[in-house]
Amino acid sequence: MNANDVIESYVTDVAVQLPRKQRNDVAFELRTLINEGLQDKAEAAGHDVDTAMAIEFLRAFGRPEDVAARYRPTLIIIDPADGHRFLRTSVIGLVIIWGLGLLKFFQQPIGSGWDFLQALGQWWGTALIPSMWWPGVLVVGFGLASWVRKQSPQPSKWKPRAGDRINGGRAAMVMGIVGILCGLFVLVDPRWMLDFFWSGRAAPAAYEALTYTDTFLRHQAPFLLVLLLLNIPLLIVVIVKGRWSALLRRMEIWLGLVTCAAMAWTILDGPVFMASASDRAVKGFMVLITAFTLIYYGVKLHRSVRPAPN
Amino acid sequence: MTYCVEHSSKLELELRRGVVVVATLSQLRAPRYGYELRQALADKGMPIEEGTLYPLLRRLESQGLLKSEWNTEGGSPRRYYSLNADGQKLLEKLTESWQGMNDAMGRLLKEDGQ
Repeated sequence: MNANDVIESYVTDVAVQLPRKQRNDVAFELRTLINEGLQDKAEAAGHDVDTAMAIEFLRAFGRPEDVAARYRPTLIIIDPADGHRFLRTSVIGLVIIWGLGLLKFFQQPIGSGWDFLQALGQWWGTALIPSMWWPGVLVVGFGLASWVRKQSPQPSKWKPRAGDRINGGRAAMVMGIVGILCGLFVLVDPRWMLDFFWSGRAAPAAYEALTYTDTFLRHQAPFLLVLLLLNIPLLIVVIVKGRWSALLRRMEIWLGLVTCAAMAWTILDGPVFMASASDRAVKGFMVLITAFTLIYYGVKLHRSVRPAPN
Repeated sequence: MTYCVEHSSKLELELRRGVVVVATLSQLRAPRYGYELRQALADKGMPIEEGTLYPLLRRLESQGLLKSEWNTEGGSPRRYYSLNADGQKLLEKLTESWQGMNDAMGRLLKEDGQ
């Protein structure tokens, strides 16, 4: 391979990565410029251009990928401002998907090392590899958000937000109270739902499915009822004041945490309904509410800012 | 120590990034081809690597700041670049900004030196 072959190889490696319409023109110019630079270098060295000199010169010129990239405007798919958020969301999502996958596969009985390896293999094939859809979706989402921001002639301006504002306004609080009243209605006797929707003509099996156990009625039901009821005066105070105060926020968090504890006790203590299918369904629902509430408070705590010197 | 050297070269690179564009535009009031431009910049104390300068010329052209044409007369064919009207306006604006920043930095660094 002589010096010319080296130059040709380099120019091709750069040009092949450029858009077709400018590829040949850039290649022609680049080859001329490289030749001229090399000639000067050879004159300074006092001998003709050789292969070693050409390789050294082109290595200093830069990797063909880097040089080709410089010919085009920088392509940013995800805004640098979103980089950390993208990484964090990707990692949290992947950990959840992998964790749920592990739970699913390791619930089956594992009696030997072979069973363990088999479960691990199934997890690898059906949870870990397919989980890559999640970063893919995020790339598309963040990329679109970045594109939309760039299309806007005027970037959206920052607006101050009051820390004590009511999310969704007073209407959301009223909706919250309606939801709690519905919850109370169901908690006191879920069979009222059947009377309400079917005017008392529902099948006896349906009534049986929604019959509480005595244990639940004696132990957890009174606590859950009181905790639900306590939300109503809290929300009424927020509606009247038109904002959350620090004390109201603290009360909301404590009430939420105590409710989570009561639900966890309910889930672990014994059956809620006489029928096992209803019991499983309601406990699944309670697990979801508890998990969602705890994650919500955890994220809130993580995102809280309390200016103080380190 | 290695970290310090790496850090300083990164910061220097960032400092140079914007300056390279102004320096390049400043030398294209009259038509020049890539290698000639590089020599002119190096002679005036602003050496720029070939792998950075040549792509930059194409980028500035595609941004509508430079015009260019091939000159195939005489020896080897060369592509000559020069400022167009928009490039001229931008250079004037950047020169003003640069001088403002340079004066401010001069004052700031002088204060620090005292």
